[in-house]
Amino acid sequence: MIVKDVVCPFCGCLCDDIEVEVEGDRVVSVCNACELGTTKLMGEKRMKGPILRDGDGWREITYDEAIRYAADMLLSAERPLLYGWSGTHGEAQCVGVHMAELVRGVIDNTSSVCHGPSILAIQEVGHPGCTLGVVKNRADLVIYWGSNPIDAHPRHLSRYTYYADGFFLENAFRDRKVIVVDIRKTETANIADEFVQIKPGGDYAVLSALRALVRGKGETIPRTVSGVTREQLIRVADLCKGAKFGAVYFGLGLTMTPGKYKNIRNAIELVSELSRHTKFTISAMRGHYNVYGSNEVNTWMTGYPFGIDYSRGIAFYNPGETTAVDILARKECDAALIVGSDPAAHFPRRCLDHLADIPVVQLDPYPNATTAFCNVQIPVAVTGIDAEGTAYRMDGVPIRTRKVLSTDYPSDEEILSRMYALMQEERER
Amino acid sequence: MSELLIRNACVIDPLKGINAETMDIAIRDGKIVEDVSSAAEVIDARGALTLPGGIDSHTHICGTKVNFGRYMSPEDMRAGRTSRCGPMHATSGYSVPTTYGNSYRYSAMGYTTLLEGAMAPLEARHTHEEFLYTPLQDTMANTLFDGNWGIMEAIRDGDTRRVAAIIAWTLQAVKGFGVKLTNPGGTEAWQWGKNVSCIRDPVPYFEVTPAEIITSVVEANEMLDLPHSVHIHANNLGTPGNYTCTLGTLGLIPDLNPKRQTLYATHIQFHAYGGSGWKDFCSKSEPIVRFVNMRPQIVIDMGQVMFGRTTTMTADGPMEFNLYRLHHEKWSNHDVELETGSGIIPVLYRRKNLVNSIMWAIGLELALLTESPWQCLLTTDNPNGAPFVKYPEIIALLMSKKYRDAEFATIHPDTESRVPLPAIERELDWYEIAVMTRAGQAKALGIQDRGKGHLGLGAEADVAIYPIRIDETDPSVDYERVIEAFSRTEYTIKRGRVVSRKGKCLVDGNNATFWVRPEVSDDYDMEKDPDFIEKFDRYYTVRMRNYPVQEEYLNRNRCIETEAEI
Amino acid sequence: MRVTLAMKPAARSFIPIEAESIIPKNLLSGTDISVWRGNRELRLDEVFSVSVEGEADRPEDVEVVISGDGTFRLKRVGEYMDGGKITILGDIGMHCGNFMSGGTIEIHGSADGWLGREMAGGSIICRGDAADYCASGYRGGRKGMTGGTVEVFGRAGVFLAENIAGGVVTVHGDAGDMPGAEMRSGTLIIHGDCGRPAANMKGGSCYVYGTAHGMIPTFRKIGTIQHDGQMLIHFTGDIANRGKGNLFVKDYRYLE
Repeated sequence: MIVKDVVCPFCGCLCDDIEVEVEGDRVVSVCNACELGTTKLMGEKRMKGPILRDGDGWREITYDEAIRYAADMLLSAERPLLYGWSGTHGEAQCVGVHMAELVRGVIDNTSSVCHGPSILAIQEVGHPGCTLGVVKNRADLVIYWGSNPIDAHPRHLSRYTYYADGFFLENAFRDRKVIVVDIRKTETANIADEFVQIKPGGDYAVLSALRALVRGKGETIPRTVSGVTREQLIRVADLCKGAKFGAVYFGLGLTMTPGKYKNIRNAIELVSELSRHTKFTISAMRGHYNVYGSNEVNTWMTGYPFGIDYSRGIAFYNPGETTAVDILARKECDAALIVGSDPAAHFPRRCLDHLADIPVVQLDPYPNATTAFCNVQIPVAVTGIDAEGTAYRMDGVPIRTRKVLSTDYPSDEEILSRMYALMQEERER
Repeated sequence: MSELLIRNACVIDPLKGINAETMDIAIRDGKIVEDVSSAAEVIDARGALTLPGGIDSHTHICGTKVNFGRYMSPEDMRAGRTSRCGPMHATSGYSVPTTYGNSYRYSAMGYTTLLEGAMAPLEARHTHEEFLYTPLQDTMANTLFDGNWGIMEAIRDGDTRRVAAIIAWTLQAVKGFGVKLTNPGGTEAWQWGKNVSCIRDPVPYFEVTPAEIITSVVEANEMLDLPHSVHIHANNLGTPGNYTCTLGTLGLIPDLNPKRQTLYATHIQFHAYGGSGWKDFCSKSEPIVRFVNMRPQIVIDMGQVMFGRTTTMTADGPMEFNLYRLHHEKWSNHDVELETGSGIIPVLYRRKNLVNSIMWAIGLELALLTESPWQCLLTTDNPNGAPFVKYPEIIALLMSKKYRDAEFATIHPDTESRVPLPAIERELDWYEIAVMTRAGQAKALGIQDRGKGHLGLGAEADVAIYPIRIDETDPSVDYERVIEAFSRTEYTIKRGRVVSRKGKCLVDGNNATFWVRPEVSDDYDMEKDPDFIEKFDRYYTVRMRNYPVQEEYLNRNRCIETEAEI
Repeated sequence: MRVTLAMKPAARSFIPIEAESIIPKNLLSGTDISVWRGNRELRLDEVFSVSVEGEADRPEDVEVVISGDGTFRLKRVGEYMDGGKITILGDIGMHCGNFMSGGTIEIHGSADGWLGREMAGGSIICRGDAADYCASGYRGGRKGMTGGTVEVFGRAGVFLAENIAGGVVTVHGDAGDMPGAEMRSGTLIIHGDCGRPAANMKGGSCYVYGTAHGMIPTFRKIGTIQHDGQMLIHFTGDIANRGKGNLFVKDYRYLE
């Protein structure tokens, strides 16, 4: 059977034009997706059922037992951490928020280790952005800053920017200019009309210089700024001002380098400044397919996009304090529920040391690096393959992922709802 | 079967012509009925003011833009935080509260139905997701068509029936309720960083004018027999001298529908400005109201400004950018491909600021000068003019000249020479307030036949009992009591169930969403239109099959089917 | 009156304890107050050995002395304090002196992040180091410190005095990256070196008696001045942000 218009549950591009061929309970071929998406849709070897750590080994347990274990763990904790959420659907994320509220824990998602700084910047100066189709149809200038879509978001260029068909561009491919700004010549830099190579840690200064140039106040700018010549800066500023529609897409190369959210703030303020001259927008290249959804869900339910601490009943938000990496590194939690992410693969050693010391339950279809730190792991259906639900694309467009095959695995939402029901019962007693 | 009897209620029910009669209200299974058995639960209202549940016909509570207002404002969030308590979830936020915050606070004020004022079709799923977490009110969404490419092309081709067909397809696809035009044409121009100056200024590339968009969409709206009229946020919001543009817009509208208005012009306060700049900025509420008083086909809402901090958010992207250049605070903008846009900035309305003082006066003037309360409804364009929690104060201002004068004494002294407010003696009565906060809304939205906005037999049992006896209260003097009473009901009853009592919500709730499906002939079914499909595939970044909002996103699904002429 | 709070050793030693209730005004009316360890409410005497000497009628006459091994776990001590004194004989956790408007906090050890966040008045003396966001604002870019003084004898972390809009902050050691970012008003003095001072400043004055590394290129050099016996180079900016602030540095390096 061939399923059309499938939504790819890999990266923030959330491509929804995938064709998948299914035989029985297996995906046998994938069309239109990039390599990353194809690999995810084809699946790997999944865990069969829930497992409980038993001495040095594992013991199989039932879903009921696993859910009970997690509920008890969260109820007895003084400061439980509920982390992950980017790799699951919105409906499950909503239950997660209710759980955090009930047990007075901390709920955080993976943006605290990717675009958290971008969110902090937006909270300072706002965000002039747009949906991806606006860029596709209009942009004659696209800037990739500290992002390398060819590697991380392979279809971004073909679906939304460089190679995409655009209503207002006669020959989109020829009419669009691309500027790449990075510390090294990436693969994306090879297709750029202008490549700006910045010394590591020098983005902020370059952005300040561009803002001054756009204002026509470039006289204080030295001969080179962070390795970029004054001449090139002037050329870039002129390209920006001369564009009919410019779009900046930035990645972790700008977000996670020295200055962090101040880099993003500076980039946003450059775009706001350019908006006085022409049309300009800026957007983050979000990683996980539904990390933006997790921000959205948290925001309408708690008021904050990530790093929410319910210890005191009301929502308290302070990234750097209430975010998973900080809490784990400071040993400030005493239990962890991990959903839809693999922190052990990304977190610093100090965090993992604490994860090893506290009880951990993980919901994940596959054995992963975090499995080694778990007391219990509960396998679930994969959203976009054998579970459906809402995901938010990197530009905020919500799309319902499709279920392309049926399995016996319960979805994240189902497991979490059962856990939450047990917890509510316990608390009401 | 569940039964409830409200005894000794002092009822004002304008749609049923009831004015302050003391009576009993019988409710069975969520509907108003003739009588109930002796087993019914009884509430003794003890003569307290009892009204149909409040309806907000223009508010921003759910969806992409509202949520972005929250997302970018942690400082607003910490201003209003509560813990989880009983069935109430934790809440955060003052001007853009979380969905639960909105729902609980509206419920405490007796509101049971809310219309989200602006939903971008492409992002409709988001609005509906938030509706699911707005449990204590029924919800519906105005759908944005101001910069819709297909519609502008059809207008250029002179094909109004195709305009109607595109609206019909979109409404049913995105589970929308009404047709909204926000700065028609301007939101498309803004995707090039431009705007349209008024209704005769053509949209770049599409070469249609806002006036053409308005008249065609109004005609199409009636072809589809939609319950609500076209709902417009006119061009030029917030600019000095814009009242002429507003008059021009209203002047385009014929009287096409005997049951309701033909155009709902929202937050008119922001469109009633005189002057050639900020220096000679003044009120032009009088010419606007004179025009409205002569035309039953127009209904307006106030868009009242109240002093304090709030967040402005609208689909009108270029207007928000102008505000940003004025205030230089944070600014967000979000253009939506082929459809519309939006912008957000925080603002602080200050008593000591002349422009803000004049804005405050204009809103009140509009409500006081409009002869029929059915034609001017009470809103703040929440949260643009002020958060909705300010409604009780606005009610009191409209009911008391003394209160207005007391407030007037605290605002910028030059206001007096710029506005007619000090000379207006009118004080609205309880009946008029009931019209402006529920009955008028129900009629304007075309939902009175769905049992909304009144307490007639068969109506939805949405009732608000306020802790005030109107026979013992003189609102022109006791305005503090009026504010207190409208801030917190004694009981808010939704679908026959007490959902909130003295400000505390008692149940988790379960909202219903109203949406419209116009029945069109095969020739006008866009689902099968090759040109529509081809353009969709080429220029949207979402597949046409993935665009419609599935019914999974509706809690209680209340589809209104209409017979279209096409 | 002197209230001594000696922290008891605890088993779960890393869960933070939120103790915004510990301010002179509250202790004036007794020690029957609570603190929170994670989501658990605890009586003050469950966490501290409490002793009270003397009497007082007003907060100004109350001194609170906090000691023990775990004081670094105490968050929000002195929040909204408006008078009196708090002395910490050791390190203190995050958010010490949040929103403080009067009185004195003296920390004998080091302070964790957000020391004196959104402070409006009073003074904070930190004998050790202050971590990140000392004397800064809250998320969302509103005003930071608006009045009072903060003096740090050790080093300060990153984003020192971010968004400062009034008051005086003095750091005797080095400061981390981006001190005085988004500065609007007030005075920031750094006796050591720092990275990228006064980025995006709108107004106010920032003095760096050491070297400013990674100097932002959008400041205009005006000349030199004598200040406290030292020759400093005077800049104004940040031009990128239409700013009119003053930045004085002993020495600077661009990242060229």
